[in-house]
Amino acid sequence: MLAIKDLSFRYSRHSPMVLQGVDLELEDGEIGILLGKNGSGKTTLFKNILGIQKPQGGSICFDGEDLLKMRRQERARRVAYVPQSIHFGALSVFDTVLMGRVSYFGYKAGKEDEDAVWAILRDMKLEDYAARNVEQLSGGERQKIAIARALAQEPQLLVFDEPTGNLDIANEQLIIQEARRVAKEKNIGILTSLHDLNQALDLGDRFFFMKDGQIRHAGGPEIVTEAVIREIFDAEVRIVDMEGEIIIINGGQKA
Amino acid sequence: MRMNMRSDLEKNRRKNVAAIAVLAAAVMALALVCLFVGSSHMSIAECFAALAKKGSAAQVRIIWNIRIPRVLAAILAGAGLSVSGLIMQTNLNNPMASPSTLGVSNAAVFGANLSIIAFAGGFLDTGNHLSSYTVGANPYATSLMAFLFSALSIFLILGLCRIRAFQPGVVVLSGIAIGSVWTAATTILQFYATDVGLSAAVIWTFGDLGRATYRTDWIMAVVVAVGIGYFALMSWRFNALLSGDAAAKSMGVAVDRLRFVSMLLASVITAVCVSFLGIIGFVGIICPHVTKKLLGHDHRVSIPASALSGSMLLLLADTLSRSIGNGSALPVGAITSLLGAPFFLAIIFTRKGEHN
Repeated sequence: MLAIKDLSFRYSRHSPMVLQGVDLELEDGEIGILLGKNGSGKTTLFKNILGIQKPQGGSICFDGEDLLKMRRQERARRVAYVPQSIHFGALSVFDTVLMGRVSYFGYKAGKEDEDAVWAILRDMKLEDYAARNVEQLSGGERQKIAIARALAQEPQLLVFDEPTGNLDIANEQLIIQEARRVAKEKNIGILTSLHDLNQALDLGDRFFFMKDGQIRHAGGPEIVTEAVIREIFDAEVRIVDMEGEIIIINGGQKA
Repeated sequence: MRMNMRSDLEKNRRKNVAAIAVLAAAVMALALVCLFVGSSHMSIAECFAALAKKGSAAQVRIIWNIRIPRVLAAILAGAGLSVSGLIMQTNLNNPMASPSTLGVSNAAVFGANLSIIAFAGGFLDTGNHLSSYTVGANPYATSLMAFLFSALSIFLILGLCRIRAFQPGVVVLSGIAIGSVWTAATTILQFYATDVGLSAAVIWTFGDLGRATYRTDWIMAVVVAVGIGYFALMSWRFNALLSGDAAAKSMGVAVDRLRFVSMLLASVITAVCVSFLGIIGFVGIICPHVTKKLLGHDHRVSIPASALSGSMLLLLADTLSRSIGNGSALPVGAITSLLGAPFFLAIIFTRKGEHN
């Protein structure tokens, strides 16, 4: 579905490369997770995929179509975004989700747009929130509304930047579950970044380890090894198998 | 539960429509009051007669040639300045953004000062009369200069900001910087002015709706209607912009183009109103904030509501300025601030008005 080839990006002609030679592939309904230190280029890669930044070289294809040459509205119907910091403005939850359909209706929302929003709210058990002011909701609730809005775009790929960054543990689990459900039930691909390696292992199908604007390792859960984590994060961890579940523990082997 | 929520949503929407209807009715009522109040102390019956073009020639002239253009100017400029402020605030994601903070008004003041002090007073030698300073050779010369300089200032800011891809912070800061250059230039100009030139220039800066004529009203009407029409059409895109540039772009909104066109239109509206009427400050801050606080941020509601509340404030201020001025109208710009500021503070410090 998503195929990125040899992507490079820098902010201006005189600044250093932020992304170089990035290759990435993701299939429908797959959850891909970018792992890397802060500043390794994860958010920049997301912004390139979303058309927020324009790359200097390489291609981003979506089912064989060049995403970079697509009109904004066309792209918005394929790729949706759940940003890292979420703020909306004082609108009702319903109108906030309806906003996600602007690439379909343009100037004035129609009945089919409103019906689509009701379906999403019902599906995510958010119907009771419809008339509430989105600014007055908690962080986790707002994150859910942001997901609902992204789903209103009826995308094939959902880009989640640090979805659990500002959440407490209960909300973190809620969002992770919601992401998994969306990917598996609706067959929507998800590309996300997570700091918590255990969460990443729990959620992801494919893993992309980034360092200095490059993807150094890509593959299934088998590539998540102590050596790779040491290389990417400069951190010592132990990977242990606990009754069939792989768990990553901070700190190296005790001497 | 679902039906409940649907009816709650419906209730909210009806409340918004009702609020806009009430505002529209208030504007119409105030416009009538504004027509009936003035230094000539005509009775309401006489006003109605004059409105129907019956009554003495002087009374018909007062209503049709003085009061109606003035009332129209208040409605148009109030709506235009208020919506311009709202759009600038959304575009720049900054609650302090307004025509005056972006230097558009300062540039207009400089242009008018240049016209009054340098051309009418200094070079053209029209004699030492106040009227010849403000009017000069052509009654539109000062307005034209004010407009040209605010347009220049707008393009300077927009051009500078294109270099930095319209980061909102950059727009606000360059607006402040360029605005202060105009203010400095105005000060220097005024330093060299004659006494009469200086007072004419200062009087110009006091906003005065009395300068309006049918012709200036027409020009304002076209500019304000085009601007507000465009903004209203783009309501959903402005709503998306409230979530930030990245989110709006990801929803398919051409953010840079939207920001360029709407900043340009908002600035032109301001430039036209200010160059015809002088400085009418604070409308662009007070009215949008009060409407957003009471009715929420949805631009489908806040654009018409800000426009109407702007008209309302200016009509109210003008009526007051003419009734307490004892024959001569007090500067309407001062009254908008005197009226608006306490109300504004009350709204800011009370949580009761919070939209929910």
